[in-house]
Amino acid sequence: MTRHTARVSRTGLVIVGLILLLGGGAVLARSLNASPSVLGSSHATVLTATQAGYPAQHSWVWPAVAAASVVIALLALWWLAAQTSTKTVRRLPLEPDRVHGATVLRADAATGAIIDELENNPSIRAADAALRGSALTPGLRLAVTAENRADPARLRTSIESEALANLRAALELDTLPTVLRLQFSRAFGRHLA
Amino acid sequence: MSDMATGPGDTTALLTGDGQPRPARADAWSRPGARRKARQVFRPRRTVPGVIVAAVLAAAGILGAIWAVSAALGRPLWTVSHGDVGGPLQNTVHWADTGTIAVGAGVAFIGLVLVLIGVTPGRPRAVPLASGDPALVIGVSRRNLRRSLSWLIEDVPGIDSAKVRTGRRSLKVRATTRLRDTAGLREKAQATVQDRVTALDPLFPLQVKVRLRRKKG
Repeated sequence: MTRHTARVSRTGLVIVGLILLLGGGAVLARSLNASPSVLGSSHATVLTATQAGYPAQHSWVWPAVAAASVVIALLALWWLAAQTSTKTVRRLPLEPDRVHGATVLRADAATGAIIDELENNPSIRAADAALRGSALTPGLRLAVTAENRADPARLRTSIESEALANLRAALELDTLPTVLRLQFSRAFGRHLA
Repeated sequence: MSDMATGPGDTTALLTGDGQPRPARADAWSRPGARRKARQVFRPRRTVPGVIVAAVLAAAGILGAIWAVSAALGRPLWTVSHGDVGGPLQNTVHWADTGTIAVGAGVAFIGLVLVLIGVTPGRPRAVPLASGDPALVIGVSRRNLRRSLSWLIEDVPGIDSAKVRTGRRSLKVRATTRLRDTAGLREKAQATVQDRVTALDPLFPLQVKVRLRRKKG
């Protein structure tokens, strides 16, 4: 769901940002001689001879760097996947009692039905629907393009009390968290008004 | 002046042009939960900066791993020989150098920007509208709201063109006309927008202001 994606993106950004902020701040503190007793003199070179020669003397340094890089790359790829996955529901279990056999509804059958129903409304030019989240507690993402002269209040009532109510009944759900993106379009307005 | 804000508790059913009463508004005003939920839903997800940073990190990690492995095998792919990676850093670059300060400041600045992007709520992607069902969140994008309102006003006889600007809590319309006699025209445009806004029933009240300008010609 979108709120989950938002949390993943924002948390990751804050973590990466804090690391960069602290790292950059430490470099600045040393460079500006903020605390020579703790950080050392700002007139020293960035690397001492011992530090520069360290990897050549110790064979574990490069494998350790490689391992750390692989970990960073994997974490970043996992973060990337978590942000871009849409978590679309494909199948919905309708009969929870497995003893009597499982009934599974294809999600696109359910969304197709609500799209058809919405598009049959003369005030609606186009509609799109997708079920997101988990199969047991799905959420609906609805996009409706309405004719600009349609009365939004009446449109909302018909979506709420007809299309959504029918979908809930079909899915045997008491509540279906829904995000409806409404959009108005002028094309063909004069024919439909 | 007929500038009116739709205030809380304004639940009257309005009469439309064809005389039929509109359904009474959903009256979600008083429910802070609906507002908070809508605000959360339409808050920017920050997926774009997140994906960019994740991609850069992944690329850096992969390149770093390749480089470190090749260095470990004794055959660095890059011309920097691993024995003295820090050759210049060791001899010529000092902490107090402008370059070092600039790099430190740049890294800290990027970090600060990322933290701010992650923490600030950001401008909502849509204007949330009231709904009768607590499980339903409705929104219309600001851009589409602007366009749809300007089409509506341009359909008012006498109005040539209209530009709509959306503020946080206001809608400012600048309409132009070629008519000499503009009596009542501004009020008509104002009523058109106001009617639509009332019917849309935004969760946060939008104050409508219409200004009319006469164009010669």
